[in-house]
Amino acid sequence: MSRVAVIGAGMTRFVRRAEESSGELAARAVEMALEDANLDIDDIECVIQGTAPDAFDGVHMKGEHLIAGSGGSGKPYMRHFVGGGTGVFSPIHGWMHVASGKFKNCLVVCEEKMSPCVPHPAGAFLTIFDHTTEQPLFLTLIHIFAIEMARFMHAYGYTEEELAQISVNNKRNAIDHPAAQVAEDLTVADVMNSTLLSWPVKRYDISPTSDGAVAIVLSNERVARHHCKAPVFIDGVGYRLDTAYWCTRDLAYPQYVAMAARDAYKMAGIVKPEDEIDVWEPYDPFAYKALHHMNGLLMDKTGRKVRELFDSGAFARDGSHPMCPSGGALGVGNPIAATGLMKIAELYFQLSGQAGKRQVKRHAHRGIAQAWGDLMQVGTVVVMSGDGSLPIRKTPWSERTKDDLVGTAIKNVKEVPHTTYEPNLTYAWDDGYALTTYLDGFKQGKIRGSRCSECGRMMIPARSFCELCNLRHVDRYYDLPDTGTVETYTLSHVDWSSAMLPDGQVNIFAVVAIDGAADQMGLVHRLGGVDPKDVHIGMRVKAVWKPAAERTGTVTDLEYFRPLAKDEDKGEIATVPVKPVEVDTLSAKTASGKIPLSYAYTAGLGGRKFYEDLAKGVLTGTYCEESDTVLVPPAAFCERGMHALDPNADSRTLDEGLGSVMAVTKVYEDRAGHLLDEPVYVVQVEFTEPGIHGSVFGRLDLDGHDPEDIYPGMPVAVVPLSLEGNRTGPECVRFRPL
Amino acid sequence: MGVAVLGVGFSGAFPTSTGLSYRELIKRAAEMAYQDAGIEPEEVDGAVSVEEDFISGYSIADEYVPDQLGMVRKPVYTVTGDFLQGIASAVMQIETGQFKTVVVEAYSKASNVLQKDEVLHFAFDPVFGRLGVSPHYLAGIEMQRFLDESLHSVIDVGEVVTRNRARAIANPLAPYGGRLSLEDVLYGRPVATPVTESMIARHADGAVVVVLAADETARERANGRPLVRLTGTGWGSATSIVERRDLALSEGTLIAKELAFKEAGIEDAASEIDLFYLSDHYAHRQLVHMDAFGLSDEDLPAINPDGGALGMGDLFEATSGVRMFDAVRQLRGEAGAHQMAGANRALVHGWRGLPTDTCAVVILESGGPRGLNGRDA
Repeated sequence: MSRVAVIGAGMTRFVRRAEESSGELAARAVEMALEDANLDIDDIECVIQGTAPDAFDGVHMKGEHLIAGSGGSGKPYMRHFVGGGTGVFSPIHGWMHVASGKFKNCLVVCEEKMSPCVPHPAGAFLTIFDHTTEQPLFLTLIHIFAIEMARFMHAYGYTEEELAQISVNNKRNAIDHPAAQVAEDLTVADVMNSTLLSWPVKRYDISPTSDGAVAIVLSNERVARHHCKAPVFIDGVGYRLDTAYWCTRDLAYPQYVAMAARDAYKMAGIVKPEDEIDVWEPYDPFAYKALHHMNGLLMDKTGRKVRELFDSGAFARDGSHPMCPSGGALGVGNPIAATGLMKIAELYFQLSGQAGKRQVKRHAHRGIAQAWGDLMQVGTVVVMSGDGSLPIRKTPWSERTKDDLVGTAIKNVKEVPHTTYEPNLTYAWDDGYALTTYLDGFKQGKIRGSRCSECGRMMIPARSFCELCNLRHVDRYYDLPDTGTVETYTLSHVDWSSAMLPDGQVNIFAVVAIDGAADQMGLVHRLGGVDPKDVHIGMRVKAVWKPAAERTGTVTDLEYFRPLAKDEDKGEIATVPVKPVEVDTLSAKTASGKIPLSYAYTAGLGGRKFYEDLAKGVLTGTYCEESDTVLVPPAAFCERGMHALDPNADSRTLDEGLGSVMAVTKVYEDRAGHLLDEPVYVVQVEFTEPGIHGSVFGRLDLDGHDPEDIYPGMPVAVVPLSLEGNRTGPECVRFRPL
Repeated sequence: MGVAVLGVGFSGAFPTSTGLSYRELIKRAAEMAYQDAGIEPEEVDGAVSVEEDFISGYSIADEYVPDQLGMVRKPVYTVTGDFLQGIASAVMQIETGQFKTVVVEAYSKASNVLQKDEVLHFAFDPVFGRLGVSPHYLAGIEMQRFLDESLHSVIDVGEVVTRNRARAIANPLAPYGGRLSLEDVLYGRPVATPVTESMIARHADGAVVVVLAADETARERANGRPLVRLTGTGWGSATSIVERRDLALSEGTLIAKELAFKEAGIEDAASEIDLFYLSDHYAHRQLVHMDAFGLSDEDLPAINPDGGALGMGDLFEATSGVRMFDAVRQLRGEAGAHQMAGANRALVHGWRGLPTDTCAVVILESGGPRGLNGRDA
């Protein structure tokens, strides 16, 4: 197996809303990484892209959309993800490409542009939940983070003030990071006094939503030694994905992180991580997560080791166990996948002695980065080392400030040419065998489980196989009591899209362990009929059902759980066997769903030039000196050489008389597949001037011409468009016969 | 180190699969693959799922992968690519030496996605590509460009449809077998000229699972059955900027082919490979891909013996997976009514569909003596 090293890194600034398009952000990070690695894009043998949900950028098959910006045009290119764990998984996937011997090097790119998603990027997280059993409750990530944080505090005894200190430390560390979005010198009181979003989570406990991109170059050892003065090697990798049934897990301790860490330590030959690792970059999208993950990385379920290190100040940048010296997600920002790769880049900087003001005091030989995500279920871990403890060096990276990175922050998308879009994404999910019986239970006012005859677990939601017993068939179904115990909870002041609830309204979400089900086998639902201040872990509760006539066989037939009075709690748990529903054409049900998001995309630097010129009735391209071609449409980077272009300074106007139809199609259906009243003609227009590379697609206005007269080679001219309010989009691009 | 196919499972493809949740559908294919491999899920080292968010209806769809594969708390990740890219990723994983067995999964619940063209339109560039009309417009432009630049005619395209749909009749797992006339195809309902409705593969539900193993492990577990080895993998992408892509050819296929052929030691596809599974999501694309592999009409008997995607259905990312399932069964001599004689080396090709030109290739070999191939038989 080849050793694999990081030999270069690049990144954009992390900003709340970037004018650059997704591809333009990625391209600038790539250009910088290639320069740092002293390589050209032609030297790169393969490219991988790590980016999390398509719902952020608002493009289906986002990985395909990012090929050009990632430097993947004309190359083996592949995208992967594991939710929020993607950023640290990306170098692992890159490591596979090189360690397998298939490629000598690999360009690893992570990009996330969260800002196009409206009403708020947090809304995209509604769609990470089970579409049938959880989305009807309108949950979002803040809710389940808060639920997990409450359980973590309960299990390990941390106070809100103690956890706020993590936010203070990381935001302060980020002051020295050139990409930082929310670096600040705060106090614990500032964090405690920030807006309460969903108890125990407050505004400053959370990393921001961000746009940004990071790229690194990986190579085998031979290439690394030749091209890089101080390569940093990947010594160990680990990644583990837990069950999707998140309410069945111990939320206080991330076992999946510990397992991933163990895999990485084994590969790296690490026996005692607390003594053998010099720099720690655990994932910190919320303040408590850093410590939650450190427990996993130290494989210590008791939490004592982390508590001792925390209390002794060891996690400070100049401490014995520097944690998040970069500033982490809390300080640098959190364009999800790019954040994890930023942490890998930080290890590369620290372990090669070029972290500048952020350089840890302890002689750094070995570091660890970790990311986490999905439904609080994935851990990704990378252990890296330099060649011994390298001297601190002055390099471009050690000196960079925010002015040296690109990334144009804008406050509102309306400041620039932009496109709005509302996808109509609708679904009807088959309930299947087990969920049909489970949801029939809700209609009957019952909570139904199924029991695995091998492990004996009574499982909810009912399922037709056991995920822990080699997919063993499960066919015994039971009605369980509709009572249970609150395992953990949150008092929420925000809705699914992160908007504040009306004053005085508090939504209480809780994980309730249902009586009669296996240990910790809970379900998430609302609590009601209780004063929020009286809610506590361990509280006994009972389901409140809608009237029978109003039940439809969905999880919202159960309105909420209310406190169970002592005299109601008889301690008897009866499970009653039931015959599962026979699934036939009539009884088979589907759950309807719609992805409730819309988008506002900036046109990007290239697109801005295109539409501004189109408003003047002209088409332009961008001259690329290196390839001596004019790129059409205008571009902020050349995908052949992966270098930046200036769409304004390098603009070339295309001669109107030289545009002609390259190909034409008569389209009979609308974007959803419905028949159009009148067919629409779509043309690809080319420009015959020498040196022009590219074309433009648009609709053809017949302008009185006979459709039969349209032919390849027919001259056409563009129809000027209005740029009122900076609103534009491809549907506005039209040509007319000349 | 080499990698072999230890087991394959396929739920079969259907226009709908009401009565099975996606979890139950995948579990069916997984169970079949594990049984075929003679292995329990707990013995498998890792898993790769291949899927896209807006098809599954979830964001970060990898969340919902481990349970129905029996892979809870194992190393699992998602490749949002063609199924064969997932295979290539798993092969690399094994070749690092850190993993002995890896399972690869993909599925389609296309019947649960109510407006599939709307989802496809959402894949186009928001700034330059979403023209507000059927996303098949790009297929119309692409087919036109291909016909303009090649020696093929629209009749050749029509014959791809009639041939593949007829072949699917003999494949019991194919939902769209049927006899069509050339007239049915060429004068059928137009979608985006010159593309007609029957030139586009229809969607289907189904799940496919493949268990891969390091050669040594596969040999230990072969139990006397023919071992199908993966001797080459390749994948590639043309630029995502459609305006600057040559729409008359498939650069993605050429890149994938070069990588896979180099690894498998193949120089001439027509004379060195017995069976070809080429993507025919749109009928003209089969011809584009034949050109990329240097295949001619003489090779047609060896191309898409299962009926292609036109006969098997478009199962989104799983499409090339079900083609690989068929290839493995052919190489083992287990294909039944559509078994091709003397098939010892097969090429499976996948294309991600529009608006991409991302393609992947795997070469499978059964290790038996080559000689007779489908054409000779």
